Amino acid sequence: MNLEKVIFGFFIVLAMTLNFGFFLGEISNPAHHNVNELFAVVVVNFIATGLKLGDRSQVGAVLLSTSLVADLQLIVAVFYWTSAVHINMVGLTPDVMTSIVALSGGALLANVVSVVILVVDTLMSRL
Amino acid sequence: MAASVDLSRVTFIVLREMRKPILAIIIVYSLSIAGMIIMPGPVVNGEIQYLSIFHAFYFMTYTATTTGFGEIPFPFSNAQRSWAIICLYISVITWFYAIGSIIRLIQNPYLSKALAEHEFSNKVERISGEFIIICGFGDTGSVLARGLSDARLTAVVIDSNEERIKALKLRDYKVPMPGLFADASVPKHLIEAGIRRADCKAIVSVTSNEETNLKISALARILNPNIDVITKSKVEIWEETLATIGGKVHIIDPFKTYAQLLASSIEQRYFHSFNNWLVGDKSTELKQPLCPPKDGLWIICGFGRMGQEIKRALNKQGLKTAIIDPKPISPDEDNVETFVLGLTTARTLKLAGIEQAVGIVTGTDDDGQNVGILLNARSINPHLFTVVRQNSHENAAAFKAAKADMIMQPSLVAARRIMLLLKAPLLKPFFKYFVVNQDRAHEMNDVISWVQESIGDKVPLLTSFHVTQKNAKALADFLENDSFQLGDLLKDPRDRTQLLDLVVLVAKSAGESVEVLPGSNYSVKINDQLLLCGTDFSYRLFRATVNNEYKLYHVRTGLRQPRSYFMQWYVRKMGREGL
Repeated sequence: MNLEKVIFGFFIVLAMTLNFGFFLGEISNPAHHNVNELFAVVVVNFIATGLKLGDRSQVGAVLLSTSLVADLQLIVAVFYWTSAVHINMVGLTPDVMTSIVALSGGALLANVVSVVILVVDTLMSRL
Repeated sequence: MAASVDLSRVTFIVLREMRKPILAIIIVYSLSIAGMIIMPGPVVNGEIQYLSIFHAFYFMTYTATTTGFGEIPFPFSNAQRSWAIICLYISVITWFYAIGSIIRLIQNPYLSKALAEHEFSNKVERISGEFIIICGFGDTGSVLARGLSDARLTAVVIDSNEERIKALKLRDYKVPMPGLFADASVPKHLIEAGIRRADCKAIVSVTSNEETNLKISALARILNPNIDVITKSKVEIWEETLATIGGKVHIIDPFKTYAQLLASSIEQRYFHSFNNWLVGDKSTELKQPLCPPKDGLWIICGFGRMGQEIKRALNKQGLKTAIIDPKPISPDEDNVETFVLGLTTARTLKLAGIEQAVGIVTGTDDDGQNVGILLNARSINPHLFTVVRQNSHENAAAFKAAKADMIMQPSLVAARRIMLLLKAPLLKPFFKYFVVNQDRAHEMNDVISWVQESIGDKVPLLTSFHVTQKNAKALADFLENDSFQLGDLLKDPRDRTQLLDLVVLVAKSAGESVEVLPGSNYSVKINDQLLLCGTDFSYRLFRATVNNEYKLYHVRTGLRQPRSYFMQWYVRKMGREGL
């Protein structure tokens, strides 16, 4: 057993599951999407990205890039939420909510790719 | 460059051959169209309708090609119809003439040859990675091509016999093997085969003509000074000439090679089966002892090149020899127990002392005779050890049924020798190591036992591995300021308490020092050449290890190197080497 793999796998899978939790629900309904969950998704994604820094292997590079994609999408979603609620004061109208959840859906896809690569790499080295 | 020259030749031939038919079609069409527009048409609305140039051309297009869509834009007048009859017959005949010319052109042998050459040089240009040129696709060439294909090595084949190239194109090789029907001793064809390319590792000339082989070898050396030249030779005077052309030249003499093999088999009873197994002979079992008798009288039937080489080898082993040959031998020949002049028959065999003999070598160049002698000799003395020469590949079934102890097939011996030279040049010092010293027999037995245990029935892999930045990035980086023990390198990266099914038979360092069966504490250096033997799967794991710094660290230390900055910081903080 490899301690680093355990920590690494934990955060990557957690990032994906939290992201999925936020994404789940009617896309335009603010009641189905919790702001605290979005916060947790962003934090865990950042930690996962941090853990991927420094790996010099090919797979490490691809994993890092998928994480960066997820981060980018989530940051945009968070900015959109903040501006709608606190800056423009338009509130969480259905079209705002749809955009935010769609962005988090993109991040979810990047996280799924990340987990698939992790699983494949582990299986390959066990070959 | 060669390709464009060929292409311009093709264009030239096409243009020259098609000039007359194209001219004929143009003249016939223009006259017909001119006639059609002049001919007065039917009267519509009180006016005579003439055909426009466009309509006339349209009419001619379908008439000349016998399609016949009808009369447009109005039904023709009789004047137009009579001209149309003339046009139809003439233009159809002209078309047939043009089509005939095209067919003749396709069948033109020069054109098809130029096209074949063009296609060939295109195929050669598309080869990526290293390749080998084989001149001559006879028995030796085809066995060699098959072996190279199994080892995933591409070869370019040139043969002066069209049938052989057709045969090549019908084979199912695992890698591309472009073939050209041409005379390989013409420099142009060698250049087309890519001899000047840096990827071209070696040229093997194994045509049936010794003189051609010599010419090809010399040409190859001039065209590419760095290339390995490998050629088959059965005549000693050529060998002297070949040896002086400079560079790396290997002359394969199947008879000498086989005599050496026989001598080594006499010393080492597993040598023969191990050798056969290494070269990929699927019919031999690994630990199948072959015990040619070590003392007594051997009878050699036919004292040609093979007989002479084998006699020399046997005498060196301290064995007595008797010779039967229709031609008298030179009186200087020593170590001859008995010499019987004449063809080998029951009578001459008895004269040579077949009753007391322990072994017989039938080495004439006639397959029927060789089998005949074998059966004859066995009926007189059933305990003989038999070595028989098989000249033609086609007679394989007969020789197999005759159940000789050793079958010598010159083309096969040469092909295998060349194969080993290309794939595993370090095998020579390996075998030499065992042959020079009898006491090393147990070491060889150890290797064979190991191989049998860990590879068993699986397909053996024998390959050279060059420790370079390209082949082993991680290892090469590590070796820049440290040394690596061979024992660690052969550990299974998945579980380092286990060893890979891989053994290093020979390690040759850049300083040309060769170590046979290096121990686990041999320190690997950059630019080392390793001769590896094992399974394909283990070799893949091995290559993964030497190219991945994390795996390399793991097999060396047993610890896991922290990958991310965070874990590196954590490990440093805990004062540890790895995880």
